[in-house]
Formats: sequence, structure tokens, C-alpha cells
Amino acid sequence: MSVDLSVNIAALTLKNPVMPASGCFGFGREYSEYYSLDMLGAVVVKATTLHPRLGNPTPRVTEVTGGMLNAIGLANPGLDRVLEEELPWLAKRNVPIVVNVAGDTVEDYCLVVDQICQSGLAHAIELNVSCPNVERGGLAFGVDPPVLRNLVEAVRPYCTLPLIVKLSPNVSRIQDVAMAAAEGGADALSLINTLIGMQIDLNTRRPVLANRTGGLSGAAVKPVAVRMVYEVAKTVDLPLIGMGGISTGKDALEFIMAGAFAVAVGTANFTDPYACPRIIRELTELMEAEGIKNLEEIRGCAL
Amino acid sequence: MQVKENRQLSKDIYALKVIGEFPYNEVQAGQFVDIKIGTGLEHPLRRPLSIACCDTLKEELTLIYRVVGAGTAWLSQRIAGDFVDVLGPLGTGFPLPEPQSSVLVVGGGVGIPPLYQLVREFDSSIQPHIILGFRDKFDCFWIEKFAEYGRVTVCTEDGSKGLKGFVTTALGSENEWDYLYSCGPKPMLRALKGHFEGTNIQGYVSLEERMACGIGACAGCTCLTSDGKGTKRVCKDGPVFLWEEVAL
Repeated sequence: MSVDLSVNIAALTLKNPVMPASGCFGFGREYSEYYSLDMLGAVVVKATTLHPRLGNPTPRVTEVTGGMLNAIGLANPGLDRVLEEELPWLAKRNVPIVVNVAGDTVEDYCLVVDQICQSGLAHAIELNVSCPNVERGGLAFGVDPPVLRNLVEAVRPYCTLPLIVKLSPNVSRIQDVAMAAAEGGADALSLINTLIGMQIDLNTRRPVLANRTGGLSGAAVKPVAVRMVYEVAKTVDLPLIGMGGISTGKDALEFIMAGAFAVAVGTANFTDPYACPRIIRELTELMEAEGIKNLEEIRGCAL
Repeated sequence: MQVKENRQLSKDIYALKVIGEFPYNEVQAGQFVDIKIGTGLEHPLRRPLSIACCDTLKEELTLIYRVVGAGTAWLSQRIAGDFVDVLGPLGTGFPLPEPQSSVLVVGGGVGIPPLYQLVREFDSSIQPHIILGFRDKFDCFWIEKFAEYGRVTVCTEDGSKGLKGFVTTALGSENEWDYLYSCGPKPMLRALKGHFEGTNIQGYVSLEERMACGIGACAGCTCLTSDGKGTKRVCKDGPVFLWEEVAL
């Protein structure tokens, strides 16, 4: 039996629902040494800001049980270099490109989104309003529903591509921020970004990360992420991209049953550089074994 | 790859020998491999271990590591016949010196291993001076093996073996070297750079940093460039850098 893995996220058609999560995949160059990127549903690139950012001091990654903490701090080469060097390279790889955009101010977001849309090198925008590791911007936009609605409304006229808003789990009711993003004009939502965590070194008696706190990701967050996708799927009528601890085809299927249209893979890329193509293969085999012909058949079946 | 041997060299330092399919001929001294810890989801981040010896004839890799946490403790319990998931070789290693040149090699603690593969690759016309720094006599390893490739001076912090003090105490007044190759803690690398400031020495340093992806994608292990205005990825652009490239 052949299965149909294709899925539509707003105006974006993906041949399969698996994409790397922003920040875990650079701009694709490194992983292209391991497999052909056109196997992926899409590539979501590292958060891009107006100006280059060096990020936080190191150490800025550390392992915890079943996961990791990162406090990279949106390190990226800046809009100009992304437009001149990274996206033109990636655009030749025959895979839809989702550009993750972050900013300090509403104006930054608008400017970056505008230029990326005009470049013709991207297929969708993911608005990063949920980075927990920077002082200004990022999370500040993602935890307050009215502030988020204003930002999405402001960006919307500049965004000629499908607009995905990436939600933070660091809120008491994710349905409220999801609703605000929808009201602001989002075409789709992605969730979850990382949960704020900390690890302390017993020898130095200090936090391991130079930034003290960092975003928790990996298998440890999966039940939280599944619950949040489930809650948002029940509340908001937008396509969802689910992520948080996905490392197998079974994990992907679980998110789809919770209501996700597509899934993103983050930390698992670090454990296994072939994680994304493997998850696509495992998902295909699972669907064949279960007699599931297409994703729509099971999407949100747990709701 | 399969474990051939996992031998304790000193108090908490082990040498892991692995065999099996691996691009042995592509290894450059100073590169590392990234090893998967455990079989489940408990340890998502691989551990970067520098290549201490790549024997292309016997087709085996030797990796030396210090047990510092749960991941390396797991690794220390692997026995001959066990399988480990090894990714690599990764990173950018040491460019080799010109034949006939005078070469100083300085390693500190668990920074010493990649320097062994380096001296093995030197042209036979090169007789390096090799300075190895350890905490104490119980921390020492591979001194005799290094001695096959050059003149070795050992330093220990407590003086229990060799000279008492850090590696810098062994530098002496002889400053006319063509190359310096070093790997060890940042303060050691900084002291070396300070010592040779103003000389014509070509200095290479190998840096250590906590890594996530190990292949240059995640920006977790970056270091600042020497002007402080940019970053380099330790796992991909490094771990070996010319010392004027990076902030130490």
C-alpha cells in the first residue's frame, strides 16, 4: 500500500510533514553533507535578525536527563548575509524554505519580513516570538496576548508569504496566545518553543550556562508539547506544526493525532544527523502497517 | 564501531580503542569524533572526543577521555566487543609543519591526546620538543609513547613528577621556534600566547567547548574572533585555530 504524506499548511504544500526545527539546522549546509535536503517536507532556517548577532557567552548548551538546555541567544549572520549567501544557496536545493524571523522591535520584524518576502527566496515566514534567551524582543512578544496580536497585525501587511507564528510554552494558557496570533492574522502556528530551565554544577555551585537559564528541549518536553498542541488544536482553527522531543516516527504520529498538520524535529538532529529522513521513513512504515492512507485520516483523532 | 579495548590509563583517564568501518585515511590530526552515549533517549548529546591515534594499517582509532560526568562514566564501562555509535572524523585539524622546522608541542591534561596523532604525522626530519602538563604523577599517561617522537619534558602542578608547575615553567629562554602546537585549558593557551608575543612563531591552538550538533549547524560551541566582532564554530571551523584568529 502506498501512503500519501503530503500536507498543506496554508498556501504551502509539503510533500511530507517533517521539517527540522529552527535553530537546530543552521541554514541547511551542514546537514546537506549527510543527506539530500529535498527529502524534507521543508527546511526551517535559523532565526534571522536585522543585524548580525553573536549570541550569548559560552557555555550555551548543556545536556540534561532526556534533553538539553540551550542559550544560544539568536546568533545569526544578519539579514543582509542571509539574503546574499544563505538563502540563495538553499533555494537551489529544491525544498520549501521557511525563514524564522526575530527582532527587538515591531519595526525590526516588519523590515526583515518585508525584505525576505521581496527576495523571492523563501516560501513561508515563521515569526519567532518565543526565544527565551534574549533580553529584548523574542519572548517579550510571545507571552502577552495583546502585544502578540499587535505584532502579528503589524507584520501581516508586509508578509506576502504564509505567516506562521511560533508559540512559547512559557505561559499559563497557551490557547490565549494562540488565539491572539490567529486574531492578528497568522496563517498557521508552530509550537512549542523551548521551556525555560536551569542546571547547576555541583562543583562550581553555579549555573552551568553562562546565561544561567536556557531553553529545555528534547524527549523530556514531549508530553508537555503534545498536551499544548492538543489544547491549541481544540481552540484555534489554523494548521499547526507540532514540535517538542520528536525523535521517531511514532513521536511524529502522536503529534499528528493531537492535531498537528506537520512536525518539526530539533534536538534529535544532534543525536542522529540522519534523524529527519529516518523519521520520514518510520512514519511511512507506521502508516503502511496501520493501513493509514493519508495524514488527514488520523489528524486530530485524539481530540 | 566495535570496542577493542577500553583501558584505564590513570585515576580517571581512559583510552578507548575502536575498530570497524571508518574513513581512517581521511583523519587529520586534531580532528575529533562524536560518540553517542547510551542506547535510549537519556543522553541526546554526543560526546566529542579527540582522536589520539588513528592507525590506518590496523584500522583502529584510539580515543582518550577523562571521566567527568554520567556520559563519560557510561563510556568507561564499555568492554571489548561492545558497539558504540561513532560520528566523524569531524572538525578542522592541525596543518602540518614544513620539514626541517623547529617545533614545540605543548599539551595540558586531557588536551594532550590529539597531539599524539599530530607528532606521529610529522616529517621524520622534525624532532619536536614536547611539553606535557599534568595535575600530579597519578594523572600522567602516554609519556613514553610521546618520547618515541621527540624530546619530552613533563610538568606536574604539585611536582610529583618532572618539573613542578605549569607547562610554561618548561619553556626556558629558547624562543626561536618555527611552530607551536598546543591543546589544553584556556589559561594555558593564553599563557603560551603571552610568552611568545612578538616572536615569529606560528602558533596553533586547539579549543574545547561544550557542543551540541558537532557538525557546525547549531552555533552552540562558538568562540569569539580575536577582534571580538565575530564568532567561529569550534566544532567545524576548529577545534584548531591559528592563535591570532580567536580570542583566548
